[in-house]
Amino acid sequence: MERIGIVGYHQVRPELDLQMSPYECIFTAVRGALDHAGLKRKDITTVISATNDYYDGKTISNCFKVSAGGAYMKDESKVEMDGAHAAQYAMFRILSQNHKLAMVYGFSMPSCMPFECTRILELDPTFDRPISLMNSYSTCGMQMRAYMKKYGVSEEQIAEATATNWKNAAKNPLALQEAQKADMTAAEVLKSDYLASPLRELMYPLLGDGCTALILAPEKQALKITDNPVWITGVGNCQETYYFGERDLTTSLSMEKASEAAYKMAGVKPSDIDVAELFGYTACEDIILAESAGLAEKGKGDSLVAKGCLNPSGGATSGMTPCATGLNRIIEAVKQLKGEAEEHQVSGVKKAIASGQIGFCAQNNIIYVLEGGN
Amino acid sequence: MKNLPLDLEKMEGDIFTSKGMVKAEFTFWVGLAMDKFYDGTTDQKFIGTKCSKCGKVFLPPRNRCGDCFAKAEEFVDLPGTATLKNFTITPWKITERRAKKGNKNALVGLVQVDGADSAFMTEILNTTEDKLEEGMKLKVVWAKRIKGHPQDIAGFEPVGGA
Repeated sequence: MERIGIVGYHQVRPELDLQMSPYECIFTAVRGALDHAGLKRKDITTVISATNDYYDGKTISNCFKVSAGGAYMKDESKVEMDGAHAAQYAMFRILSQNHKLAMVYGFSMPSCMPFECTRILELDPTFDRPISLMNSYSTCGMQMRAYMKKYGVSEEQIAEATATNWKNAAKNPLALQEAQKADMTAAEVLKSDYLASPLRELMYPLLGDGCTALILAPEKQALKITDNPVWITGVGNCQETYYFGERDLTTSLSMEKASEAAYKMAGVKPSDIDVAELFGYTACEDIILAESAGLAEKGKGDSLVAKGCLNPSGGATSGMTPCATGLNRIIEAVKQLKGEAEEHQVSGVKKAIASGQIGFCAQNNIIYVLEGGN
Repeated sequence: MKNLPLDLEKMEGDIFTSKGMVKAEFTFWVGLAMDKFYDGTTDQKFIGTKCSKCGKVFLPPRNRCGDCFAKAEEFVDLPGTATLKNFTITPWKITERRAKKGNKNALVGLVQVDGADSAFMTEILNTTEDKLEEGMKLKVVWAKRIKGHPQDIAGFEPVGGA
């Protein structure tokens, strides 16, 4: 595959209640990404967004975002998934050779919608929805129970990894302010109320309003724009079954397949990866995804968090903006590769992975292999 | 926690709300397999389907096996007994209209009916939190008023009492 370069990006720092309209927020991110890359709107030929009609309270919600997203009179489309999926869609556009520069953005404003309720609308309306037992809390709780039981992992270990995520968020200048908890301890995590046992309130991310934009370019173009691009050298995406009761919750089969494909495309092995920015809802899910991506032995993934090579930004715990979280993971991995991650920089990062997901307990995963250098 | 749904009453004065012009009550065609399933619950019986290729049994039923991509149109009668695969205890009740933390915990189980290869979420009744254990044997509790609806299954309870 021709290498695709990430040449510019901008993340609006998420807030619990952002004092911007959706369109001001999107404009800030997209304008910011153009400025970051030193480009003009006219240079962009295609704009791909990741938003969700239910989150936006509108149908075909991208049609009102055209001017804010820089798509006026341009090729434009959207995915109703995570921003990381929009980036793949943009890659296809570029690899088809019909487009030179692609703008990707992911946006949502959870302060304006009942996020946990809208997730119920993901469920099978003929059985799971009317029963009203399956939701983000109950599924994350069961996932954690299954994982802990199978590998003999303790609640304390998960709480320790969770506390590290909160502490990492404190070093991330783009984390939600309320998620920056430099003094968080496992004991405090374990004192918080149960959302759905063994999952506790402090194990679940805070939601933040925000938008993240990313500009992708084909190899030749990327080298004209910047001396220091980050390359997407591999991508993989896999969809597991919807039926929750048939899934092995102790692992992520979709992450296994997706990472296998991405590593093959990039010609790398899991052991080559220096840092991983993965989109898990909880620290437990981060760990499961990392193990499934081959970074650690099954049941031993919490060591990656302790070592600092899994979600040094704090991951979704640093503030979860639905539809933008996967793009945030990509940007964080890009920063690590460029040595721009400041306080949460991991030293000597040559190869990184970043992932996005959709569905309950990451039914679908998409993963990128990213590499720096010319 | 800020992850709660909006409290529109509290926000009154700060925002204006639009209730919308369309009263959107959707209908969903359950399909032939689920139609049969709800015929079954009306008679207080479980009816699943079996994959024509791998032989996996699905409950609730569906007409295809995603793995084999083969038809699963053979109906099979299944008993009212089951195994608890996983569980969680939660004070949260989340529907498509509201998310509310209640005063009482619900015991939510992932339950695999004997003879089925799939499992579904249901409430575990007539027992206490500390008695729940993966692998425990359960039996179905039918609702008092049966109406061919998912809530015909009131839940499952331990075999032989709590």
